[in-house]
Amino acid sequence: MAELISINTLVSVLLVIFAPIIGGLLMGIDRKLTARMQSRMGPPVLQPFYDVIKLWGKQPFIASSLQPVLAFGYFGFSLAAFALLAFGQDMLLLIFTVAVADLCLIVAAFNSKSPYSNIGGKRELLSMMSYEPIMILAAVSIFYNLWAKTGYPSFMIQRVMDLSTPLLLSLPLTFLAMIPVLIIDMKKSPFDVSASDHAHQELVRGVYTEFSGYTLALVELGHWTKIALMLGFVSLFWATNFIIGAMLAFALFFIVLVIDNSYPRLEWKSMIKTTWIVGFFLILANIVGLIARAVLGI
Amino acid sequence: MYEETLVALTVVLPPLAGLACFAVNNRSFRRAVVVLTALLLVGSSIMIYISGGFSYEPGPSIGPIIEGAIFLLDAVLLVYFLFSGLKYGSFLVMGLTVLQLIPVLYFELVLKGASATPAILVDKLSIIMSLIISIVGSLILVYSLSYMDEHEEHLHLEKSNQNRFFFFMLLILGAMQGLVFSNNLYWLYFFWEVTTLCSYELIRHDRTEVAVKNSITALWMNLVGGVAFVAALFVGFYFSPNSISIETILSNAQSREMLVLLALLAFAAFTKSAQFPFNKWLQGAMVAPTPVSALLHSSTMVNAGIYLILRIAYAMSGTTLSYGVTLVGAFTFLATAYLALNERTSKGILAYSTIGNLGLIIVCAGINTSISYVAALTLLVFHSVSKGLLFLGAGVVENRVHTRMIEDWEGLLRRLPFTSIIMIIGMIAMFLPPFGMLIGKWVAIDAITTSPILSALPVIILVILGSAATSVYYIKWLGHLTVLPQDGVKLTQEKLPILYSLSMLSLLSLSLLMAVEASMVINNLVIPALPSDYILNARYLFTGGLLSVETGFGSFLTYPFWVVAVIIIIIGTYIARNKGGLVKGPYLGGENIEENPSIFHTTADREAKVEVSELFLDHEVSSSQFLSISTIIATILLMIIFLTVIL
Repeated sequence: MAELISINTLVSVLLVIFAPIIGGLLMGIDRKLTARMQSRMGPPVLQPFYDVIKLWGKQPFIASSLQPVLAFGYFGFSLAAFALLAFGQDMLLLIFTVAVADLCLIVAAFNSKSPYSNIGGKRELLSMMSYEPIMILAAVSIFYNLWAKTGYPSFMIQRVMDLSTPLLLSLPLTFLAMIPVLIIDMKKSPFDVSASDHAHQELVRGVYTEFSGYTLALVELGHWTKIALMLGFVSLFWATNFIIGAMLAFALFFIVLVIDNSYPRLEWKSMIKTTWIVGFFLILANIVGLIARAVLGI
Repeated sequence: MYEETLVALTVVLPPLAGLACFAVNNRSFRRAVVVLTALLLVGSSIMIYISGGFSYEPGPSIGPIIEGAIFLLDAVLLVYFLFSGLKYGSFLVMGLTVLQLIPVLYFELVLKGASATPAILVDKLSIIMSLIISIVGSLILVYSLSYMDEHEEHLHLEKSNQNRFFFFMLLILGAMQGLVFSNNLYWLYFFWEVTTLCSYELIRHDRTEVAVKNSITALWMNLVGGVAFVAALFVGFYFSPNSISIETILSNAQSREMLVLLALLAFAAFTKSAQFPFNKWLQGAMVAPTPVSALLHSSTMVNAGIYLILRIAYAMSGTTLSYGVTLVGAFTFLATAYLALNERTSKGILAYSTIGNLGLIIVCAGINTSISYVAALTLLVFHSVSKGLLFLGAGVVENRVHTRMIEDWEGLLRRLPFTSIIMIIGMIAMFLPPFGMLIGKWVAIDAITTSPILSALPVIILVILGSAATSVYYIKWLGHLTVLPQDGVKLTQEKLPILYSLSMLSLLSLSLLMAVEASMVINNLVIPALPSDYILNARYLFTGGLLSVETGFGSFLTYPFWVVAVIIIIIGTYIARNKGGLVKGPYLGGENIEENPSIFHTTADREAKVEVSELFLDHEVSSSQFLSISTIIATILLMIIFLTVIL
């Protein structure tokens, strides 16, 4: 029982509680940075929070009776996935839990038979199909790296945290492969096919179209949590030092914003092709590199 | 004596009950016989589980009679296939039957090679199979009592054909039990051919043109496997002329002859489990009444192939053949997942999903480590239950809505809430945590990544890509099923016959219970069934806590996940109740019409219809092209495997 009240556990619990808030702050920073890149002032950093609070209090309209439950499911399962990360649990289970969260959002979008949200849902489904294999392969490369470094293969995040050398030094290409994944998850150009923060979405609000008031607030919370989760996962690449890890994640976040503001949207076919070709090529090259190093003994 | 009775109850009773049903074509009589047989089957297979396994050799007085009877029945069976080929003008069927009939006669009458001691060997693997066949099979049987009444009412038949139907349904259950208990290679072959007969007869049950055509396809494809099996009999005889005991033969060293034998048996297994390039017959089998599909896909027929692969896998560990088996499975898993994306019918999707999941099981069998065996058996057990459940649900929907097209399933949640919830849970159980199939897949990934790295990489890529498409086609379908259109239809509880609800609820509870207790299923059912050399290592790896499944490489938090999932649903429902909200029509880019949400006013007050169609990737992945290319690739793959074994 002593383990239950250790400092590490406390930190993990706090992380889970603050995950949506961290995500929300990042969204605020995103809007500020994006505005600056477009030579605008931008809203205050806390704007996303004001938005969500206001949304929560609005007169409720729903698209179907299942919608609110599914909206909360998106948030809840994203948070559950974050908890798996914070407590150093299995990477594959984490990826599958994110899939459950995605499923909630997609099914909610299909639920009301709205044309716009339906197409958004389909594209969200294809987005999921593009990034999930890359995430699993990234986990596999981490698994092999642990094997090479410690002699014990593992999918446990705790083992990554216990590594003495940062993951980035042995898996730089896997790290790069996380860029398209992050772009898709943050719904940024060129892969913002299912919904976009910018006002140039041809599908109204895509997968979000039928959410309003408190259901939209819940979906926003889910989205924040998911971004916090993905960036948290990226920070594992420098797990030896929490600050450097966080900076690494922020650097990737910034790269994604730059890409977002430099490229127009591509269609979903290009999204799948690019993500798969780039992702598989980079990660496989990295795994082959690991094997070569193990064989040559460097 | 006790063992004798149990074997008799499981293997001989179902065909006898079938004969009784065949002779007396009476509804009440049939119901009584089928339910009683189902109960006895479940009871005796549980007794066999408790007994923990045994071997049985018929005494000198009864032994020759059984052997003679099996030979006689086998000859009759083959002659019947010959006549079926003649009747429908299929030279393929006739040729393949002759290729079996003459060697079998030579084998029996000249070589006199068909004896083995012990004839019956029930080990832990047979016990798992027997439990699946008895429990899932019996529930499907009970379900079909109601289903066939509705089916025949729908067809307006003058005279009921149900006697014939239940004869073959019962026969296949008995044959499957015989198949998994036989230690005599010839007996195994005999039961193998009986399952072929049953599938052929059940597929063509309705005697429509398509049904007959597809049943012939199923027949010849399975006969190809039969020919390979007969060849394997001769190789087996070469190894041990006095007793073609499977146990003895498989304990031989890995010589080239031995590999030829294993390759032939693996080939036979591919045909029965509908792996590429033999996937067509299972796809065609969906013309049969739904309980047939349920039975063939979940607890019998295709599982015979899996059983054979699992039985022989250990003997081929470390060989190229074993890796070849893995590749065929992985390729099938990938190809079916993408084919299912464009499939329009519920049963078509389920068929591809079955073939794909069997592929994944075969991947694990080919990898041949303790952890991969655990993955294979876990997938097998959970697949049977979930797939059975899905087919039962799909059957009810088909009889109520009279369509198999998933696009027409909208609003089903209001019209058939009970069946819809069964289907929803069944689908989730196929690919999402915390259900058993995903636990199996998760163990499978561990198994693949811990196998030698260079051979593992191609397999892991095939499996990862296949698994992504699997999620897509299930979520897409799930989306259809849960759509709540504003068409004014009120939530009404459907009235189902008691046998429907009884069988579906039993299977549902079984599915949920097993998923919650996944760790227990793995430790108490799966691990004991491993080849004895693997058990110790598996016990060491799966030091499962009560709350999770641990593989030594990762940890799957079953209990915490269930708790969290339930909490999320409770809070979500609470918020939905508390905040509520008026249900509003969707945004249509024009003016909604309150009374009729299926049309809206667009520019200049014109009325436009709201149309939302399904996601199909016909332009990107043309199914027919994809199918032919996959078949060619798989055929080449099989040829390469055979060449490497022979050369």
